[in-house]
Amino acid sequence: MVDKRLAIVVDTKRCIACNSCAVACKIENNLPNEVWWNRILNVGGSNMDSPSGTYPNLSMQTITLSCQHCENPACVKVCPVGATYKDPETGVVRQDYDKCIGCRMCMSACPYTGVRSFNWEEPGYHVDFAVGDADVVPHQKHTVEKCTMCWHRLAKDLQPACMEVCIGRARFFGDLNDPESEVSKLIAKRQYIQLLPEMGTKPSVYYLV
Amino acid sequence: MTDTSNVAVLDDDMDFAPAKERAGAKAAAWGGRGLTVGIGVAAVLTAIGIALWAVQLSGGMVQTAMRNLDSWGLYITMFMFFVGLSAGGLIISSVPKAFGIRGFGGISKVAVMSSIACTVAAIGMVVVDLGQPLRLWELFAYSNLGSPLMWDIIVLGTYLILSCVYLWAQVRAEQGKVSHTALRVISVVALVCAILVHSVTAWIFGLQQGREMWHTALLAPWFVSSALVCGTGLVMCVAAALRAAGYLALDQANLVRLAKLLAAFVLVDLYFFGCDLLTEAFPAAGGLAVVEMLTAGPLAPFFWGEVVLCAVAAVICLVPSLRTTPLMVAAGLCAIVAILCKRVQLLVGGFQIANIGLPGPVGPMTVTGWESGMAGAYQGMVYWPAPIEWGVALGVVALAVLVFLLGVKFLPLRPQD
Ligand code: SF4
Ligand code: SF4
Repeated sequence: MVDKRLAIVVDTKRCIACNSCAVACKIENNLPNEVWWNRILNVGGSNMDSPSGTYPNLSMQTITLSCQHCENPACVKVCPVGATYKDPETGVVRQDYDKCIGCRMCMSACPYTGVRSFNWEEPGYHVDFAVGDADVVPHQKHTVEKCTMCWHRLAKDLQPACMEVCIGRARFFGDLNDPESEVSKLIAKRQYIQLLPEMGTKPSVYYLV
Repeated sequence: MTDTSNVAVLDDDMDFAPAKERAGAKAAAWGGRGLTVGIGVAAVLTAIGIALWAVQLSGGMVQTAMRNLDSWGLYITMFMFFVGLSAGGLIISSVPKAFGIRGFGGISKVAVMSSIACTVAAIGMVVVDLGQPLRLWELFAYSNLGSPLMWDIIVLGTYLILSCVYLWAQVRAEQGKVSHTALRVISVVALVCAILVHSVTAWIFGLQQGREMWHTALLAPWFVSSALVCGTGLVMCVAAALRAAGYLALDQANLVRLAKLLAAFVLVDLYFFGCDLLTEAFPAAGGLAVVEMLTAGPLAPFFWGEVVLCAVAAVICLVPSLRTTPLMVAAGLCAIVAILCKRVQLLVGGFQIANIGLPGPVGPMTVTGWESGMAGAYQGMVYWPAPIEWGVALGVVALAVLVFLLGVKFLPLRPQD
């Protein structure tokens, strides 16, 4: 079997910054309080509805930011114990909470500001029962975590949770090594940008513009 | 290895016999109450530090000021700093032996002892920074040999062991149990290891393409030069203090030679600094932000602090009439504080400029000063330590002092008569 290169394509023209993907991620993965693996950054300002530009030439521009599952991940190289590693069959950059010693080397190494988060305290939850999928690995205090591309869902041949809820149908998921996949076709025919390409990390997230 | 057996190694401790006799009388009464009190205080502070560390681990590192966007802090700053400090002693001690040149009087063994203490502190700083210190064993079970942090752990461990062996060999050599050739070989190995330790520590930062300020090939040699600056400064201060305490005799000429050495190291370090700033600023691209942050931005006090302190140290050490003992000690202290400023710039500077600075959701775990939003958090220094970090760090420093004082008390570190 040919190895996959799973990728996420976000159509920024369709994204309406509704934050559904961030919330779906939060619930699906039972993320502790204050932890967000996927965040919506607004180019216009800190208010989620602030436009960029000056009146009357205003526009809404947003970027959904999560781990870019880089083909050449900076984080994997520096982890002293291999707690963060790339799955060779899918290209997904994974994180082993049981192994992580909490040195935070990976957080310094990753160029994509804030996609890795550390549990600075015992994970706390607003509700006293776990939400989301039962197969999600429990979160641990003093370890680093990040987007898993919904590894537990991939195992069941499902798409990541953020894909399913996207109201604007702006998110696409698939295998870039398969030329017939939706994502391959999208980046073949549309213009796209990648974040910080100069870092040489070769991210697997593409933003259609 | 080339044949070294027929090269006489000059023994540091042979040089200044008259001075030694003078100290002899004082020496008998030495090691009294002051030292015991010092050991006691250091032990108590260490214990407090360990208790605070336990609090940090049980209550969570949320008690520190570190957050996701500034994920390292005082501990890693001090780690860099102590790795640097540890250099001086070992290099001052081993260079004369390795190259068969004249040493610096009877300070060789005390200097190595200070290296050992600083290495202990450096290792301690990494350990208290870990979220899961109980998993330290994994470093040896699952070592990722491609990680600069892994290299550093290996080299630092080797360095500590080697410093101990080197100290032991010096003591044995004086007793005639270890040949000078063997001592010389050990000192060469120790010297190489000392240079490696600084380079590897630099690579923890310098190999990261994601942080503009860190990603420069100059970082490794620069770490070596900075290490020489603060290390020499430390040896000068320690030597002068031990002489004042009557622990050892030290000819003024040796202190002056150390001061001249310090001046040379300071100038090299400043030269590297200038090269780096120019290379960052000249293309007027991303690096310009780094230079502006240093010279006029939130890190300016530490930048100008370093420059001024280095200049003061250099002037004192270069002007013959200024080379009095108090001023030379002041120069040593200036050098140490200057390099501490440098370390703060490096650490905080790495986090001060966010690659993706777009506004987004900000919470208490995002960044230290999160209450005022992203823009507010980056207004001043993005990170400033929380009280518990000062306490734990002080505990680690106290541990190093404890190690040093115990060595002074119980090991035969004094120059032999
Ligand atoms: S985005 Fe960061 S954390 Fe994710 S794979 Fe790339 S370097 Fe690693
Ligand atoms: S914090 Fe965990 S995952 Fe990150 S480098 Fe350290 S051990 Fe690896």
